[in-house]
Amino acid sequence: MQQSSSESIPLRQFGRHPVKISALGLGGHHLGDAPDEKTAIQIVQEAVDGGITFFDNCWEYRRGKTELWMGAGLKGRRDKVFLMTKTCPHGRDASLALQMLEESLHRLQTDHLDLWQVHGMAFDNDPELFIRPNGAAEALTKAKKDGKVRFVGFTGHQNFKVHLAMLNTGFPFDSAQMPLNVFDSNFRSFEQQVLPELNKRGIAALGMKPFGGHGDAIRAGVLTAEESLRYAMSLPVSTTITGIDSLEILRQNLRIAQNFTPMQAVEMTALRDRCKVSAADGRYELYKLSLKFDNPESRIAHGFPLDTQQSEVRDMLGAEQNTGHPFPEKHF
Amino acid sequence: MDSTHDLNRRKFLKHAAILGAAPLFPGGRMPEQQPQAEQVPSGVVPKKQLGHTGVQVSALGLGGYHLGSVGTDRAALEIVAKALDHGINFFDNCWEYHDGLSEERLGKALQGKRDRAFLMTKVCSHGRDKSVAMGMLEESLRRLQTDHLDLWQIHEVVYDNDPDLIFASNGAAEALTAAKQQGKVRFFGFTGHKDPSIHLRMLEHKFPFDTVQMPLNCFDANFRSFETQVLPEVTRRGMAALGMKSLGGSGEMVRHGTITAHEGLRYAMSLPVATTISGIDTMEVLDQNLQVAVNFQPLSAAEMQSLRDRSRYFASDGRFELFKMTTKYDGKVGRQQHRFPTEQALPL
Repeated sequence: MQQSSSESIPLRQFGRHPVKISALGLGGHHLGDAPDEKTAIQIVQEAVDGGITFFDNCWEYRRGKTELWMGAGLKGRRDKVFLMTKTCPHGRDASLALQMLEESLHRLQTDHLDLWQVHGMAFDNDPELFIRPNGAAEALTKAKKDGKVRFVGFTGHQNFKVHLAMLNTGFPFDSAQMPLNVFDSNFRSFEQQVLPELNKRGIAALGMKPFGGHGDAIRAGVLTAEESLRYAMSLPVSTTITGIDSLEILRQNLRIAQNFTPMQAVEMTALRDRCKVSAADGRYELYKLSLKFDNPESRIAHGFPLDTQQSEVRDMLGAEQNTGHPFPEKHF
Repeated sequence: MDSTHDLNRRKFLKHAAILGAAPLFPGGRMPEQQPQAEQVPSGVVPKKQLGHTGVQVSALGLGGYHLGSVGTDRAALEIVAKALDHGINFFDNCWEYHDGLSEERLGKALQGKRDRAFLMTKVCSHGRDKSVAMGMLEESLRRLQTDHLDLWQIHEVVYDNDPDLIFASNGAAEALTAAKQQGKVRFFGFTGHKDPSIHLRMLEHKFPFDTVQMPLNCFDANFRSFETQVLPEVTRRGMAALGMKSLGGSGEMVRHGTITAHEGLRYAMSLPVATTISGIDTMEVLDQNLQVAVNFQPLSAAEMQSLRDRSRYFASDGRFELFKMTTKYDGKVGRQQHRFPTEQALPL
């Protein structure tokens, strides 16, 4: 990977590997909320120009739309970025995971990924299903061996115990992604339970949901966007991935990241204390207590009911839009 | 629970085939049709000790939520009358069920029969002050047309900070003590369906609860288990364990076809509990449950193990214990007090 055109966002080491990634990463899911492909492409290009090198995505986001849009945005810029996407077998076989990899590469218009992660470890039996014979672990190993992915990892936002169980499978992960924000620090905490373990093992820690997923706490006035993002970026992580669905949000986050100075320990403690009461029941971390953030693919694989209000499910079930294409045809 | 759940609750007896074929549940398979011709045997539901209280209650309890789901007052009254006739004396209810309708119906049904019932209801202060709880007690007594409860429980202890709020100065725990001192309730306890760790933190306060209510079924045994983590603690302390959600809350386990309703109820009732509370909104469901509970014979240890083994695969991700895994079973008042989205905004 070459250096990006701008070095204004700090670069950090990717775990135990001598590779640098930007301390702010662009989340793939929200890219699908951009009003159209043109805006999405503009967001991706302006992000690269602003110094973001870490790009997140996932096979199941918006039925493929976000990978297609990111692929289009990165055309001619692929070598400037560290590209990650995720596979979604959710307990199913390695062959399915590898089939998803081929689709992702095609949509992203590339022949390799910098990082390929198993998406959404949410359920108590996911680690067991991952490591079983013919489970997704075998797909990660094969993809790496075939040179289609440089590094492998896993993600999840439900339960730190599931993350610890994944680490205890003994699989040689390069990265692990988890929600890290000031609310998490006082509630079923990945920061306390998982992050030190990753640092100890030299596994790159990738933070996500620095605003709690949808920014409800910021709208409620508990803290500012800048405080949220600075807190998350001040933790010992390789990057903090945040969802960006408009140029306005991109510019806000770029500005925070470009001017980033880590919070002092005393500042972090003060912020944790201020948010402690509203952290205590998980109201701003609904991803730990509900299925709100669990995509349909995961729910289907595990036999959970779908949420008909979810955008993916609406796309999937909406008669007008259900054309058999991965996302509504009009976008092609 | 809000009334919007009614469509899905307990209708599996009549509509099993339709629901079982729902395309959104790809793991599901068509359940066996339950034979309905079977009669309720003569005899009564046996009684069991209610912990250390010296009181005996029926091994099957009538759940209060579903009394509010019944189509008419009259049908609800008939269910209560038939339950009493077959020896059921444990009656569950809650201040927030159907905005009071469940309590009102039970009050009417027990007119002139109050002394035959062991009457429980629950308080829904959800973290607010003692005075809120005491006000709810007066409302419950009025709706239930009685001057005292046999058992008063703190409802839906499911949020991680609930134990702290309940035991805060001037919190709900003080209301329980005051109500007992005033002779308005004989015994007190708490309920919750979410996580064994929350129940255990409630017990750590060494408060003299008489009862503890929790979900107990053959799936629970293999997933975030109240049976293995909470039940032994409750029993060791001489408190009475009250089981609920023997079929997954709304019959999910039966609809899927892993177990029959009889197997699920027999498993739950075979555990060391004082009673198993079951939601009953039709005579068919009452008869189905009485077929198991009248002259109840517990399962052998080997039979229980075999049911746990059969359920294990589908237990291990919690798909049929949605009350542990999602917000589906979390009620309106608790969501409001904890600033969670409404049931419409956050259905799961």
